[in-house]
Amino acid sequence: MTVPTILRLKIDRFRGLKTVDWRPSAGLNLILGGGDVGKTTILDAVALLLSPVNPANLPDTDFYGRAINEGFSIEAVLSLPATIGIHSQLKPAWPWDWNGAEAIAPSLEGDAPADSKPVYRVRVRGTEDLELYYEILQPDGSADHFPVALRRQFGLVRLGGDDRNDRDLRLVQGSALDRLLSDKGLRSRMASTLADHAIKDELAVDAKASLVDLDKAFGVRSLPTGLDLQITGGQGASIASMVGLTAQRGTMTLPLASWGAGTRRLAALAIAEQNQGETPITVVDEVERGLEPYRQRVLMEKLQEMPTQAFVTTHSPATISAAAKATLWYVDHAGQIGEIKGKVTEQHRARDPELFLSRIAIVAEGATECGAVQALIGRALGGALAPHGVHVCDGGGHEFTLGLLQALAKSRLRFGGFVDEEGKHADSWKALEVGLGSLLFRWEKGCIEEEIVAAIADDKLEELVIDPTGEKTGTRFWTLAMRLGIDAKDMASIRAAAGDGLKALILEAALGKVPDGKESEKKAYRSQSQSWFKTVAGGQELIDKMFGLGLWPTFKPRLLPFCNAVRGAVGLEGLSDLGA
Amino acid sequence: MSDASVTAALHSTAPLVVIEAPAGCGKTHQGAAYARDMAQGTRERLLIITHTHAACGVFADRTTGLGRHVEIRTIDSLIAQIGGAYHAGLGLPSDIAAWTRRTKHGHKILAARVAQLVARYPIVAAALATRYPTIVCDEHQDSSADQHAIVMALLRQGARVRIFGDPMQHIYEDDAAQGVSPPCDWAVLVGQANAFADLDTPHRWSDGCHALGQWTLSARATLKAGGKIDLTRDLPASVSVAFAENIARNAQGYQLNDAKSVYAAEKKSDSLLILARHNHVVRACRGMFGRRLPMWEGHTRKALEILVDAVRDANGAPVIIAAAVVAFVGATGKGFSPSAFGNQFEQEARELCAKARRGKPATIQELAKHIVDLPDHRGVAAMLRHLAELKGSDSGFSDVAFDHHSEYWDAVRLGNFDDPEAGLAEITNRRTYSRPSPPAKAISTIHKAKGLECRGVILLAGDVKSFPEKPDARCLLYVALSRAKDRLHIVASRTTPSPLFIV
Repeated sequence: MTVPTILRLKIDRFRGLKTVDWRPSAGLNLILGGGDVGKTTILDAVALLLSPVNPANLPDTDFYGRAINEGFSIEAVLSLPATIGIHSQLKPAWPWDWNGAEAIAPSLEGDAPADSKPVYRVRVRGTEDLELYYEILQPDGSADHFPVALRRQFGLVRLGGDDRNDRDLRLVQGSALDRLLSDKGLRSRMASTLADHAIKDELAVDAKASLVDLDKAFGVRSLPTGLDLQITGGQGASIASMVGLTAQRGTMTLPLASWGAGTRRLAALAIAEQNQGETPITVVDEVERGLEPYRQRVLMEKLQEMPTQAFVTTHSPATISAAAKATLWYVDHAGQIGEIKGKVTEQHRARDPELFLSRIAIVAEGATECGAVQALIGRALGGALAPHGVHVCDGGGHEFTLGLLQALAKSRLRFGGFVDEEGKHADSWKALEVGLGSLLFRWEKGCIEEEIVAAIADDKLEELVIDPTGEKTGTRFWTLAMRLGIDAKDMASIRAAAGDGLKALILEAALGKVPDGKESEKKAYRSQSQSWFKTVAGGQELIDKMFGLGLWPTFKPRLLPFCNAVRGAVGLEGLSDLGA
Repeated sequence: MSDASVTAALHSTAPLVVIEAPAGCGKTHQGAAYARDMAQGTRERLLIITHTHAACGVFADRTTGLGRHVEIRTIDSLIAQIGGAYHAGLGLPSDIAAWTRRTKHGHKILAARVAQLVARYPIVAAALATRYPTIVCDEHQDSSADQHAIVMALLRQGARVRIFGDPMQHIYEDDAAQGVSPPCDWAVLVGQANAFADLDTPHRWSDGCHALGQWTLSARATLKAGGKIDLTRDLPASVSVAFAENIARNAQGYQLNDAKSVYAAEKKSDSLLILARHNHVVRACRGMFGRRLPMWEGHTRKALEILVDAVRDANGAPVIIAAAVVAFVGATGKGFSPSAFGNQFEQEARELCAKARRGKPATIQELAKHIVDLPDHRGVAAMLRHLAELKGSDSGFSDVAFDHHSEYWDAVRLGNFDDPEAGLAEITNRRTYSRPSPPAKAISTIHKAKGLECRGVILLAGDVKSFPEKPDARCLLYVALSRAKDRLHIVASRTTPSPLFIV
């Protein structure tokens, strides 16, 4: 079944968005991005384009930079089911052909397409007269009216960010409740019932007298007389729009609008869902609003289950981790939208959703690198990372990290990387380096352990082995002794037994190398690395030792640019050096 | 019986229903009744496709009150609408109507391109089939191959298609040279139909001569089967045959050695069509009746279109425009012949009316002056208006006579428009909506009489020249015979007999 789907959305000069050209997915589109980048504006644009009413006023703030004379435009290429009624309009709406990227006017030129898929182009324009024009764009270049009756057929469901907005819980024209009850005669019946109500009888004595006096005064001036008070309706809100859903709360009947934001939103969605056979485009701003993480998950499950196309913004890790079937989009500061896609990002949605919510994410190759980045950037920022919006993510190994970084490069997310040199995928890393500059840090020779052990002076090796917490020192000496085949676990004995090979020995133990002929004890040898630096704490320890053992000047030329790139990404100036 | 089976077939769920509908057997009634039932029952849009504006009018009269649930269009206008929507993709300008009028075989070229587009992009036909879930095709035998292909594309995209047609009224040649689709063969179409039924009750004659109705149906069966109509026996009293020969020396002339029966038949009738296949016979016939009987001009204005094209292409050269005007007056009337006026008129235009003239030549110069002063359609209109005045006031012009009054005055009216193309479109449009009907008695070609009916019919030139042994001649003969409700008078020939008659 075809459900109404926006295949392409073009926004020009609407509010804070200068230009957006976006091809959203079918189903759930989860839109991420920092504050004030225009996520909500994108939702508002969709809502305005498919608005079931003719908006009453058009503020000049809807125009980019308030430049009214240049107008704004919101255009969508839509795939529509026949039931929406695009074909029952007075004038025929002619289909365009969707080639997967854009709407093409059918033509005899070129080769015949193997397949054609009908789509329609609709647009709303704000003009310099502060008027809105709703248009269906025809393949002949003309524009026909895109009437409110047709827009109403879309049944747009909108759960806005505005706390006071409860239009879907009211009988506002085109609201979910209005469509559900679809009682066309109600408005006129209500009007006549209300008109019968004798308001005059309820007036206080003085007020009644004033009305009688006014009636006399009218008579004197030959104005109409026989004055009475009735509900007459008027400009602005219709009588029906003042009718809203109420519910029992304890012993009281209260408007549903007085419940919390989360309940109101779930209620509005439930009403929309009750409209059988309808598959409205759904727009939800800040889906987490008013909902505990478990109810966010319930709502996300619901939205992903529905066949409808939905546009949802969020800042919530719980929402992202529940969005396994959604398409993730990231809006950057220029209002550009990029897709976060690929298997590797899907795993991180569930495991580490904050990757997508931070100001800048640093993907580190493994636990050691995570720890190292935290310690290093902590020094660069002079404190904790989180308040600056810097998030460090474990890439899960060299290959996965490369894949994740490549996927992120296609989105508009801001990110960096901290990885080893394993002598593989040189071209891919080079390409990433071009895009990321100093935000991507790669060791020159192997991994962090290799670099630091290689740089350290022989007389400081013991300090390297000693765990500052004291916990692992003994184990580390033991791993060295057993690799040497000696019983004594003191530094002097080990140094004597290892001779010139001490550095190499430490490195083998720290990296968990399996010596030749010991393949049967592979596990035991490998796990030794855990007691050295292959943990987050181990990575932090390495950086602390880099500074503590006076190695920083050696590494500074390479690491300082990385630190400053991260500082730059969060709006801080570069430093000339890091303090010890 | 058969009316009921037709109704049942139409209302079935079958995607394609074909109804063979001889003239006068209630085709429009059945079609309109079906349209009403469907529009009221389903509240969906229903499209009636006709081939003429006149037929649009008839359906409009019979489906009033259904609002926008029933749309009635000519197939050309439907195709022009599709073509307009996708004009750029078809390599055509946006004003398709003007383009088709300006272009030779414009409608056919357009139909060919639209048929190709619809074949390439099923989405276009699918959109129309959704808009019009039910489509009634009237007079489908008149469809060109491309028009037929477009209807079939709508069927394939899920429209219920109800086709009315009469292969025996297929009198318009499909110029296959312009088309891209295989021609529509009625027998093949009947084979494709999910349901097929015949209309065979001659309703047209229910208030006329019933015997004539039956005879017409049997004549149709004979013509369809390839046989000859026997004029020697078993004729009902309402059918009379006279044998008279054309003794005109000119190949373009028509003069009977004995026209008494024709005059007598004309006198007897107060509702009459005098029919002939060829234009020159029709024009000669005007003379036979002392120009008393008007000519039925139908809905086309061929001479006017040629005139407009010629004036446009003349680029303001008076002599070329003058020649086009002479041709136009010649095509729509008589008396303004090259020898009597035309040559001199053109010479004045060539010399820009420079020489002083007296008498009749001066009057001709005055006529040419209109075109010299204003060498466009407005000058032409002023000249034609002046000529019409002279015809009444100047004895020198008393031989000038107009056969195609409407067309002549349309050319005069065109002078009120700034743009002749737009003017022609506007005038055509007005005619489409005013839907003129023929006068009580009129002379007409068989082609233009298609779709008309009247109490009496006189068929002229029932000879081999008009009706040779050819499929289209069989159809033309049937169309001519089936116009009459009360009396039919056939003028046949013994010396050059038509092979379609036994004489």
